Amino acid sequence: MYAHPFTYHRAQSLGEATKLLHQLGEESRVIAGGQSLIPLMKMRLARPTALIDINFIPRLSEIKDHNSEVRFGALARHADIEMSEHIAGIPILHDCASGIADVQVRNQGTIGGSLAEADPSGDWAATLLTLETSLVCAGPQGERLVQMDDFFKDAYTTVLGREELVREVVVTKPAKNSGGAYLAFKRSACVYATGSAAVQITLDAKDTCKDVRIVLGCVGLTAIRAKQAEAELRTKKIDERTIARAADAAREAAEPQNDMRGSADYKRALVAALVKRAIGIAVRRARGEHVEAGHEYVGR
Amino acid sequence: MATTLRTKTKKTKAAASSSPAKWVGQPIRRKEEDRLVRGKGIFVDDQKLMGMLHIRFVRSSYGHAKITRLDVSKAAALPGVVCTLTGAEVKSMVKPFIEIGPDAGQKIADYPMAVDKVVFQGEPVAAVVAETRLIAEDAAELVEVEYEPLPPVLTAEEALKDASLVHPEMGTNRNWHGVFEYGNIEKAFQQAAHVVHIGRLHFHRFSSTPLENNAVIAVWDSRSERIEYWSNNSFPSFAAQFLSPALGVGIDQILMKSFDIGGGFGIKITNYPYMAVCALASRKTGGRPIKWAETRTEHMQASAHGNERTFFDTRVALDKNGVITAIDSRHVDDCGAYPRYEPLGCVIWAQVLPGAYRVKNVRIDVNQVVTNKCPVGPNRGYSRMQQLWFIERILDICGHTLGVSNDEMRLRNYIRKEEMPYTTPNGCVYDSGDYAGMLALGKKLIGWDDWKKKQAAARKEGRWIGMGIGSTLDSGTNNFGQAQIINNFAPFSGQSKAANVKLDIYGEVVVSLGSVPQGQGHETTAAQVVADVLGISPDLVKVKPGFDTEQNVYTGHTGTYASQFAVTGLSAIHGAAVKLCNEISRLAAWALKGKEKDLEFAIGAQGPEVRDRRTKKSINYWGLANLVNVNNAGMPETLWDVTLNCRHVYHAPFQVPDVKRKYGNLTLTYAAQIHVAVIEVDRETFQPKILAYACVDDCGRTINPRIVEGQVHGCTAHGIGAALMENCAYDSDGNLMASTFSDYTPITAMNMPDLLYGHMESPSPFSYNGAKGMGEGGAAPVHTVCAALQDALYSSGVIIDDSHNTGDSIFRALQRAGSGGFASMVRVEHPRPSR
Ligand SMILES: Cc1cc2nc3c(=O)[nH]c(=O)nc-3n(C[C@H](O)[C@H](O)[C@H](O)COP(=O)(O)OP(=O)(O)OC[C@H]3O[C@@H](n4cnc5c(N)ncnc54)[C@H](O)[C@@H]3O)c2cc1C
Repeated sequence: MYAHPFTYHRAQSLGEATKLLHQLGEESRVIAGGQSLIPLMKMRLARPTALIDINFIPRLSEIKDHNSEVRFGALARHADIEMSEHIAGIPILHDCASGIADVQVRNQGTIGGSLAEADPSGDWAATLLTLETSLVCAGPQGERLVQMDDFFKDAYTTVLGREELVREVVVTKPAKNSGGAYLAFKRSACVYATGSAAVQITLDAKDTCKDVRIVLGCVGLTAIRAKQAEAELRTKKIDERTIARAADAAREAAEPQNDMRGSADYKRALVAALVKRAIGIAVRRARGEHVEAGHEYVGR
Repeated sequence: MATTLRTKTKKTKAAASSSPAKWVGQPIRRKEEDRLVRGKGIFVDDQKLMGMLHIRFVRSSYGHAKITRLDVSKAAALPGVVCTLTGAEVKSMVKPFIEIGPDAGQKIADYPMAVDKVVFQGEPVAAVVAETRLIAEDAAELVEVEYEPLPPVLTAEEALKDASLVHPEMGTNRNWHGVFEYGNIEKAFQQAAHVVHIGRLHFHRFSSTPLENNAVIAVWDSRSERIEYWSNNSFPSFAAQFLSPALGVGIDQILMKSFDIGGGFGIKITNYPYMAVCALASRKTGGRPIKWAETRTEHMQASAHGNERTFFDTRVALDKNGVITAIDSRHVDDCGAYPRYEPLGCVIWAQVLPGAYRVKNVRIDVNQVVTNKCPVGPNRGYSRMQQLWFIERILDICGHTLGVSNDEMRLRNYIRKEEMPYTTPNGCVYDSGDYAGMLALGKKLIGWDDWKKKQAAARKEGRWIGMGIGSTLDSGTNNFGQAQIINNFAPFSGQSKAANVKLDIYGEVVVSLGSVPQGQGHETTAAQVVADVLGISPDLVKVKPGFDTEQNVYTGHTGTYASQFAVTGLSAIHGAAVKLCNEISRLAAWALKGKEKDLEFAIGAQGPEVRDRRTKKSINYWGLANLVNVNNAGMPETLWDVTLNCRHVYHAPFQVPDVKRKYGNLTLTYAAQIHVAVIEVDRETFQPKILAYACVDDCGRTINPRIVEGQVHGCTAHGIGAALMENCAYDSDGNLMASTFSDYTPITAMNMPDLLYGHMESPSPFSYNGAKGMGEGGAAPVHTVCAALQDALYSSGVIIDDSHNTGDSIFRALQRAGSGGFASMVRVEHPRPSR
């Protein structure tokens, strides 16, 4: 369990980090929390020749409440987000952050690293896709803004250029009559979920669904927007019947594989159930209720 | 709670009469805790020796394949690599390990490295030895191996067919076969009111996940011709008996030492093949120390798994009241690629042949097969848990089928308290116990009647709530004579442990044990026992646990396994302490010019001392030790045998079993665990949620309730993990699908229910202190969780036929039930319908 030899470099600014990525060549990588990269290196599945540490770049871990937005520095740790007062109005972010892996991983792992890694089972992707999210990316040509919907290309693949980094994740605060929930089912604390569902619903004055986003995690190469499921709810009254239809549509949208976490058929059933529950919680939250939710584990 | 020490020999009177138990029975904090919590434990991988080298194994990626090419030249050429070893080379340096089994099993050539073919994924095919661990790892990647895959043998059914052979030299995959038959089976079935036929049941493979993986340092010293081992093997005297003939050295030339061990649960007993290779590497490098510290993936793939067992063609006879009168079944145990402790598991289950029940007529046909999977090792609850699970499944399936509730089913069948000591159909003697009483306590703790009401209400809402009971025996202090049932040439029987208690030169009380604790708190309980005998306190007793061939005492049975320390280890310590006490008494009487009967043991201003009640004169331990060790001129000849250094060997009172009838007492004590669980299966996610969980344990007189409760918690977590999460599953090519913790998912705190804990004490009549061994727990939660799931899902047509159940498997079982799967699993006949 020893990584291949590599050189270590500490970047003082994002500019320096991109420069180093250029200078150190194809096999260089930045390291943030190291919670994806280091395990891969120890198993020798990743063999970078140079690591550029971005942890010492000032202010890159800040979380800011900015009028209509919350801005997360790429280095904001999962635990920082879980504890942040700025996410009070966006409970879905707390649902997500508080259940990622175990406390050690949450203390180290970063939102930027998680998105850049684009693990098909990552919790952030599904969650953030239900919100108006954009990423500020910094590269040799300067900065650009990428919409979350356009960010992931495939499993472990994003639109980031080789020398480009995530600087900030910008989330637009949902409207007052909007509520969301992220539910993930995990076998144990320190592993990725078997299936997950993120739902953000905005109600109108008559308590019907004005808008909704439903995203499934862990059941495809990337997080999956269940658009048909959304259509079953949008502009409709949210009741048992429409929820059941949305859950059925979500089941159809999932593209899971058989693995140690479960069979494909089972995972379909699981995400349908999670979608159904997440809708229920999202609606209650949209109505202003306080509801605890998040990850569920085998046994309890 | 104070317990009176009951001693049997006359000699012990002087000691015991002056000191009623004050420390035994107290929940004192563990002596070892402070050291371990502060990171001052000494583990193998912490040790660094001069000139030490590191070994790295190159392992098979196939489950079953011929090695067509193996080239270590590139690895050998890497700077920092000192040598390499291949299977062919290893074969030329050692003899195959001895085999415990008779017949076909004797033909297995078990080398510590694969020679021309690999028989499980992860089997070592070569090793590199280098100056650092990093270089060793780099070099291992340079070893080139090519394989030609062979059809893997992965299930009991396939293995029995003998179509593909794991070890062609055996001529079969059947490693052992025997029929265990007691009572009159045919008559019982003829007279039965109901006969229940049960289809295939399966107890899955799982393991233990000790925090510390296997580790060893070996030095083969060419001058002394000795091999010195620092290891975390948990049964070193057993390992030495395998290593000595394989390596061709006398057993006195093998020195074993162990320090702290970060968990073991039995599966570190069979790491001796790695110990062998490390010694060979040391020899090849001119006697340099070789360290091997296993990685987690190596541990998952190639250390040891628990035994997997499949139960076929089960028939159960019951009378009209649901009392089981006979069980007839065929069991196939899968021991993986090599029987490295096996086929002992083929008899060890018989320690609990009828479980906690009175059934008299039993026939079980036992086969053990080899397969292309990781070799098994004795995993906590070893071999008994498979049998107990099987019996508990029978209870639940019959109960549900006949409409008898699961608590009632148990009460009708339990062995009664008044029947203790109870002789089982195969001659085992259950020493004491009150299973019905334990169940009553468990039901009270959990609020059984309340839950029954809630369950009925929930069922009306369509919810799946199940209430389950698991009745588990933790048989402890094994009689090695049972090995002769497996192979009547096996030269072992009985059970023994040694201990030494002495006053050192300055009067320190020092206990040395050969036991190999891995978290069981031996230092503490040993000190409690000695403190009571000498009338001092446990912190005045120094305990040196750990195996040490040169400095600590041992017998050939010495190790930590088979739930026994409270009986065997403490009996040895008690015996040695009593001997010391008698010596002190004789010496003090002379020194104080008094009579032994007037002496009392106590703590004075200068620490532990002996006082004369009449003269008020006293002498402390330093004074006594001084008289014997450094100031002994003038001592009368009658005291020359006093050394203040006393060894005692405890022998368990066993006979060799009747090998032909497979009859005899196989274990000395039977601790019991009755667990009760309420589980809800979610109708949408199919995930089981434990709503309430109660554990009641009875391990006779308790030495330290805190340690006992800790063991109960640990066993419970281990068992819940096994029942719901942990599974060493293989795919159809023989790849282990759980070679990391991400896939194996050992249980975490997030999965644990709150535990309700109850405790009863049925003292054992067979141990000096009334204690019974405990700590294995017999996988109590596996039975209990399955029972609750069965109760939740029976009405939906599901038979719980596997010991491992996940949301996914429940989902699939419900789908099968919908398509009539149930009917093929269970069939009932009524040969003599009750009128
Ligand atoms: C045991 C365990 C369990 C886990 N379970 C979960 C789970 O349940 N859910 C979950 O979502 N995650 C889980 N994770 C992953 C965890 O969330 C990681 O923190 C995350 O995937 C990566 O973030 P990081 O900061 O650690 O990135 P690193 O490991 O440092 O980097 C990951 C990759 O992203 C690149 N990178 C890092 N930062 C940036 C940036 N700012 N811009 C561009 N590229 C960047 C790196 O070069 C690297 O390629 C788990 C991890 C472990 C070890």
